[in-house]
Amino acid sequence: MNDDSALGTVRDSLTTARDSLTEVQMSTPLDTIVRHGRAARRRRRLTGLAGAGAVAVTAALAVGLTGTAGSAHHTGIIRTAAFTLASNANGTATLTINPRVLLDPGTLQRDLNRDGIPAVVTAGRFCTSSPPPAGFRRVVSFQPKPQGSGHQRPVPDPTVTFHPAAMPAGAELSFGNFQLADGQQTSFVLIGTGSHTCTRTAPTAPPREGVMLRYGRPAS
Amino acid sequence: MEFAEFYESTRDDCLRIVLLNVGDRLLAEELVAEGFTRAWVAWRKVRDLQAPHAWVVRAALNVHVSRWRRHRHEVVLGSHDIAVPADQDTVLSSDLMTALRRLPVRQREVITLRLLLDLDTGTTARLLGIAPGTVRAHLHKAVTMLRSATPRHDGQEIRK
Repeated sequence: MNDDSALGTVRDSLTTARDSLTEVQMSTPLDTIVRHGRAARRRRRLTGLAGAGAVAVTAALAVGLTGTAGSAHHTGIIRTAAFTLASNANGTATLTINPRVLLDPGTLQRDLNRDGIPAVVTAGRFCTSSPPPAGFRRVVSFQPKPQGSGHQRPVPDPTVTFHPAAMPAGAELSFGNFQLADGQQTSFVLIGTGSHTCTRTAPTAPPREGVMLRYGRPAS
Repeated sequence: MEFAEFYESTRDDCLRIVLLNVGDRLLAEELVAEGFTRAWVAWRKVRDLQAPHAWVVRAALNVHVSRWRRHRHEVVLGSHDIAVPADQDTVLSSDLMTALRRLPVRQREVITLRLLLDLDTGTTARLLGIAPGTVRAHLHKAVTMLRSATPRHDGQEIRK
């Protein structure tokens, strides 16, 4: 078989494969793209100012944006189809998960990071450290509260509150979401920054010093 | 063309092409969303390109490579069973797709741009910042690799 023929064969196979994925469609709304684009542009502008040595200007802008000198915290609500993340005036952030929509891990991770919560958000993967950093219960609280082994009981609309100020140094939050046959499952635990391992196996029990939530099936 | 119109008309194609490259639906969506976010930021430049959707696909694949480099030391302990529709699973796990994902990054980019996005050699070369001859060389090597990895397509040679 000559080069042109081989090329044609591979091209046909690839385009057939692509065309067979007609049911695969982007679910990320345009609004989300634009919001992230605006945030990226803001970050780029601030970085540019700092890079030019305009430290004082950057600090002034930070105060203007946040209304609180010396703090990167701001209040506001981010709403997506899969979750709502509200930044509260007391420095905490409240995440409400819509159990009927699959989480976009990149979007949630970016939004948590923006709210001062260092987090590794993964889908189909869960990262842990052994031993985990202490202090999980001070960093994360849940509504309804998990009780004993009851963390595995399905909950209708899980709400998670983060306390960024309580995050131990050198730690971040691992947030591993799995789509199971009967719904979604998310495990939470603290991990050491840069010292963790990840598994693609959905946990069957809450992680050590962490919590596992199960909730309803996403709409197809 | 406005960004909104561009997004609506190209997002699904971009997603399918990136999905073939990475084999994971959620990851592909995340990468394509990042690619479009970058396109929105650089829209004044991107909208004037000959193939702006190819720019998005390449940006998404670059994000994937960057992430792989950052996380390559993570240990994967096992596999999980995310429910993937059977027909998609068959396509994504085929010998050809597995071989595509094993190609060196540059060869995979050339295959994606030339064959999946149907760009000509010159446009592909400009987008990748390489010479047209280099595009042809990468394409030849990649096609040879893909052909050898998919023996069931060798019907003509088997019959002779």
